[in-house]
Amino acid sequence: MGLITEKLPKMMAGMPGSDIIFTRMDAVINWARANSLWPLTFGTSCCAIEMMMAPGASRHDLARFGAEVARPSPRQADMLILAGTIVKRMAPRLRTLYEQMPEPRYVIATGACTISGGPFIYHSYSTVRGADTIIPVDVYVPGCPPRPEGLLYGLLTLQKMIRSGETVREPGIRHKPVTSETPEGITIEDIKSEMLALLEKDAVVDVRKAAEQMERPTGI
Amino acid sequence: MNVHVSTLDEKTRSSLAIESHSETEEYFINMGPQHPSTHGVLRLILKLDGETVREVIPVLGYIHRSIEKISEYSTYRQIVHLTDRMDYLSAIMNNWAVARTVEKAAEIETNERIESIRTIVSELERIHSHQLGWGVLGMDMGAFTPFLYGFRDREMITDILEETIGARLTMNYIQPGGVMFDIHPDFVRKVKEYLAYFKPKLDEYEDLLSGNPILQQRLRNVGIMDAETALSMGATGPVLRASRVPYDLRKIEPYGMYGEVEFRVAIGTAGDCWDRYYVRIEEMRQSMRIIEQLIDNIPEGKFLLKKPAAKLTIPEGRHYSQIETARGVLGFYIVSEGKETPYRAYFRTPNFHNLWSLTAMAPGGRVGDLVAIISSLDLVIPDIDR
Repeated sequence: MGLITEKLPKMMAGMPGSDIIFTRMDAVINWARANSLWPLTFGTSCCAIEMMMAPGASRHDLARFGAEVARPSPRQADMLILAGTIVKRMAPRLRTLYEQMPEPRYVIATGACTISGGPFIYHSYSTVRGADTIIPVDVYVPGCPPRPEGLLYGLLTLQKMIRSGETVREPGIRHKPVTSETPEGITIEDIKSEMLALLEKDAVVDVRKAAEQMERPTGI
Repeated sequence: MNVHVSTLDEKTRSSLAIESHSETEEYFINMGPQHPSTHGVLRLILKLDGETVREVIPVLGYIHRSIEKISEYSTYRQIVHLTDRMDYLSAIMNNWAVARTVEKAAEIETNERIESIRTIVSELERIHSHQLGWGVLGMDMGAFTPFLYGFRDREMITDILEETIGARLTMNYIQPGGVMFDIHPDFVRKVKEYLAYFKPKLDEYEDLLSGNPILQQRLRNVGIMDAETALSMGATGPVLRASRVPYDLRKIEPYGMYGEVEFRVAIGTAGDCWDRYYVRIEEMRQSMRIIEQLIDNIPEGKFLLKKPAAKLTIPEGRHYSQIETARGVLGFYIVSEGKETPYRAYFRTPNFHNLWSLTAMAPGGRVGDLVAIISSLDLVIPDIDR
């Protein structure tokens, strides 16, 4: 409420009849959007408990930042908090959920599993390595699972992005905050392609070849 | 041998072909995988006649992470880290299942200090798991306050465990040959303080929710399961005990320090949702009783007898061992070749078997009762799919 009681009186211009305030359209809309994010209750595994801890329970209380109205229906939500591993069978459903959400929609990926595959990155035949291969992700919150404070920080980062980013005429443009610098001559694409090559080498298992190599243990 | 496994498609098509005996038409609806009261990504296909449930077909695999396959590539210490992502509300007890199997197979000895620390932290975790179950059951029944109360008290246990273990939810604490760290110097004092705090709070829980006539009407005589059905479905834990079967591994096959402490096994009488709810409340009391007996005299000694760097192999053959988690019997089965990694690893998880008792309980009830039944089973979906 600091905005209304403290900042607004300074910006108001006195006019006969009533006070008038001049501002940019985008500033008002982005301010409103950033402070009333409605999350979708989407939790697949462990991170869901920490996610419930953050907006639901009283200690961390996400309501302070205007994001406590958790909606079970994607049509009423505008923020998707990915909490927990996404597996190949769930991937089409996640895509559907995302597409059912009205624009503008924002995605926070919490936990190692949704960022890269986490503990299930190697030798798993069913895990999706990174939810950003299915839907665009705005903010990544690392951890296994992240603390509720981490999720709060992720939400504040998203709010910062919304306030500084979109305009009404060009919706969908995001300005991502720079979190860390990469060394000279290396781009994010290089790192991604290297990671993917490593993953393919490890994750794609030729079943027949493996069966030939593996001998059955004696006495069983 | 020719075995025919009926697919989902066949099941739904064949039952549509049979004409309904009543005048109304039977139809199918989907519940999940995105549904607020399935506690995750469980999908149930319901065959409904009006509002009456005729059949429930659970569909699994929406969080299948192939933990058993990854275990085949992991050493026995690495498997420990995968288990607490299965049933994350009883993470420490899942660790214990692996540790106990490996210790039994490789003949690793432990001392009394290790066993009593394991017992205390497991019971603390059992309390916080049941607190969450209590709160979420209240929320599913339409009361939001229990959720806040449950999470407030659960957070305090999380803090105590975090001091010693370093994690809030997926705690890797118990490993073959001991525990990972010694307990924090403040651990004993804080646990005692917590018990003194939580004892009156548990009575408050009962005043708040148990005595509520609306809750009683929604839970009593809903989802009744007799002992025979419960046993044939393979249900364990509070679900089985609520059906009047006093089966608790802590009593029947004592491990840890359970053989040396006094506690009683809570059982229900009717096997309905109310009994499953109340067995959990009573288990919290018994868990506090166990901790009270152990917390004052934790023996001195080493907390880790087998060094983490040491090579850990298991003799060739099959090994199985099981423990009682907050939701039932968790078994770990290893087929070993005598190497550092298992040839095959299998987890007998409690939630998988508890889920199928739903197919016996729900038919004949209403859709609203189904939510009460799922809530009283207290399912953790990643534990079902693994």
